[in-house]
Amino acid sequence: MLLRCCVPLASFDLAIDVSLESQVTAIFGPSGAGKTSLLEAVAGLRHTSAGEIEIGGRLLFSSSQKINLPPRERAIGYVPQETLLFPHLSVRKNILFGSRRTTNRDGAIDVRMDHVVSLLDIGHLLDRSVGQISGGESQRVALARALLSRPQLLLLDEPLASLDIGLKERILPYLRRVRSEFGVPMIYVTHDPVEVLSLADWVLMLRQGRLVAQGVPQAILTSSSILSQLEQDRLENVFDAILLASDIDAGRSRVRLESGQEIYVPYTPGPAQRSLQIGVRGDDILVATREPEGISAGNILRGTVRNVETGAGQSILRVEAGAPFYVRLTPPAVARLGLRNGSDVFLIIKTRSFLVL
Amino acid sequence: MSVEIWQITLFSLSVALASTLLILPLGILLSWLLARREWRFKTIVETIVMLPLVMPPVATGLILLKIFGRRSPIGGWLYDRGVEILFNWKGVLAAMAVMSFPLFVRSARSAFADVNPRLEQIAATLGASGAKIFFAVTLPLAWRGVVAGSLLAFGRGLGEFGATIMVAGNIPGRTQTLSLAIFSFVQLGKDAEAFGLLLVTVLLAFAAVAASEWLVRSKAKSRG
Repeated sequence: MLLRCCVPLASFDLAIDVSLESQVTAIFGPSGAGKTSLLEAVAGLRHTSAGEIEIGGRLLFSSSQKINLPPRERAIGYVPQETLLFPHLSVRKNILFGSRRTTNRDGAIDVRMDHVVSLLDIGHLLDRSVGQISGGESQRVALARALLSRPQLLLLDEPLASLDIGLKERILPYLRRVRSEFGVPMIYVTHDPVEVLSLADWVLMLRQGRLVAQGVPQAILTSSSILSQLEQDRLENVFDAILLASDIDAGRSRVRLESGQEIYVPYTPGPAQRSLQIGVRGDDILVATREPEGISAGNILRGTVRNVETGAGQSILRVEAGAPFYVRLTPPAVARLGLRNGSDVFLIIKTRSFLVL
Repeated sequence: MSVEIWQITLFSLSVALASTLLILPLGILLSWLLARREWRFKTIVETIVMLPLVMPPVATGLILLKIFGRRSPIGGWLYDRGVEILFNWKGVLAAMAVMSFPLFVRSARSAFADVNPRLEQIAATLGASGAKIFFAVTLPLAWRGVVAGSLLAFGRGLGEFGATIMVAGNIPGRTQTLSLAIFSFVQLGKDAEAFGLLLVTVLLAFAAVAASEWLVRSKAKSRG
C-alpha cells in the first residue's frame, strides 16, 4: 500500500508519503491534523492535487499517469464517524446496499452475509429501522455494510469516538474479530491510545498535515516526546490475555498473560480460556524497591527496569515483569528510588485499575 | 350541484393533474441539478424558471401566446405537424404547467438540498452508480418535498386564471376552468353557480395545502 499524496485543505496542505505493509494502520494525532481528510482522499471523496495512491497493487490515483478512479470503482469500504446509515432503509437493506458490487477483483475478500452478521452480532437487528438501534449497534451495522461491499481496504474514522466507555468495552472485540477473520487491511483513525495498542500493528502520527512519526504502537505511544504532543496525554499498557477463572462475588477474574504472568482484573464473565485484552494506565502503577506488605492492591509483580526515559517533565520506565509494563513517574520519584537500567522493582497495581477491553 | 359545475370541476381537475404529471420529470431533474450541481448559466436558468412567480400571469400568458402562435417558429413547427396549442385544452395545460413549474421546483430543490450529501458519498464508496444513488438514496429521502411540491403545483394549476385566459380563452365546454367559470358566472349575475364553484375551489385548495403542509411537518418530525 502506497500513500504519496498532497491534499489541499482550508488552512494547510496535507502531504503524506508512506509505504505500508501493516494490516491495521492507526492514524493518530490531534484534531485538525488532517486524519479524516486523508481517509477521504484515499476513498476518492476529496480532491487530491498530486501524488499516487496504490492499494494491493492497484493504482487508484496517479497525477503523473492521469489516473483518478471515482469512489465507486475504488473498492474501499469507508466507515465514517457518524456512521451515515441510510435512514430510509432497514438494517438489512443497509448492509446489503453495496453487496452487489459486480467487479470481482483479485484479492477481494470473500465475505458472506450470514458470516458478517453473526460475527458482528447484528442478526436480531436486521428487520429494524436504523432509527431503532443504539450508537454501538449503528457502528456495527456500518461496519457490516462496508465489509459486505467486498472492499480491498477498510477505512475506519474514529469508530469508537462517539460512544461512552461502557459501549467501547463491548465494541472493541468486534473490531478485533474483523481483523482476524477477514484479513482485510484497515486504516483506522483514532484519538485513543488504548484502541491503537489493542488493534493496530503500525501507527502514523500526523500533525498539521505532516507525518511526524511512525512505528509500532508500543514504540510510538510510550515515547515521552510524542505523548507530550497529544491532547489526551495518556500512557497506556494493553496486553493479550487468557481468562482463567471468574468469581462474581469476589468481583474479580484471574487472567494469564502470554508470558505466563497471572493477574487479577475486575470481574468479567465468560468461559475459561477465552482470550481477551486488558489495559492499565501507566499513571496507575506504583513502583517499589522493596516487596510491600500490608497493602490492599491485588497485583504485586516482580520486575526489572529495562529503560528510563526522562524528558518533558516526566520519566517513562519500561519494566520487564513477565510482560513489558510502561510506567510514568515524576523525575524526583525516579531519583529518590535510584531507579536505573537493571534496577529490581515491584509493580503494585490495584485489581480495579485494570480495564478489560 | 348542476351537471355544468361537475363538468367544469372535472375538466379543471383533469388538466391540473395532467399538468402536474407533465412537469414532474423535468421538474425533478432541474431541481436536482439546481440543488446538487454547479453549471454554466445556472443562475440565468433559475431566474427564468422563477419568473412566472413574480410576473403578472397575463404577461406570462402573452409570452406563451407569442411562443405558440402559428407565426412563431415553435408554434409554426407544431402547427405543421397538426398540433395546435392555443384556444383548446392544450393551451390550458401549457398555461397551468408554466405557472405551476416554479412552485414545484422551489419545493423539490430544497428537498434535494436537504439530503445529506455524505450519504450519497457513502453510497458511491459502496459501488453505487450515479443513477442508483439518485433512485435508491436521494429521491427516497427527498420524496416528501417532491410530493409537497406536486400538491402545490396542482393547487396552483387549479387556480390559474390570467395566463389561461390569454392562451386558451374562456370557452364554455372547451377551455373553461373553475377560475374562469367563476369569473363568467359573476359577470352574468349567476351568483348561485359562482358560489357553488367557489365552495369547490376552497375545498380543493384547502386539501392540497393541508396535505403539503402535513408532509413538510412530518418530515421535520421524523428528523427529531
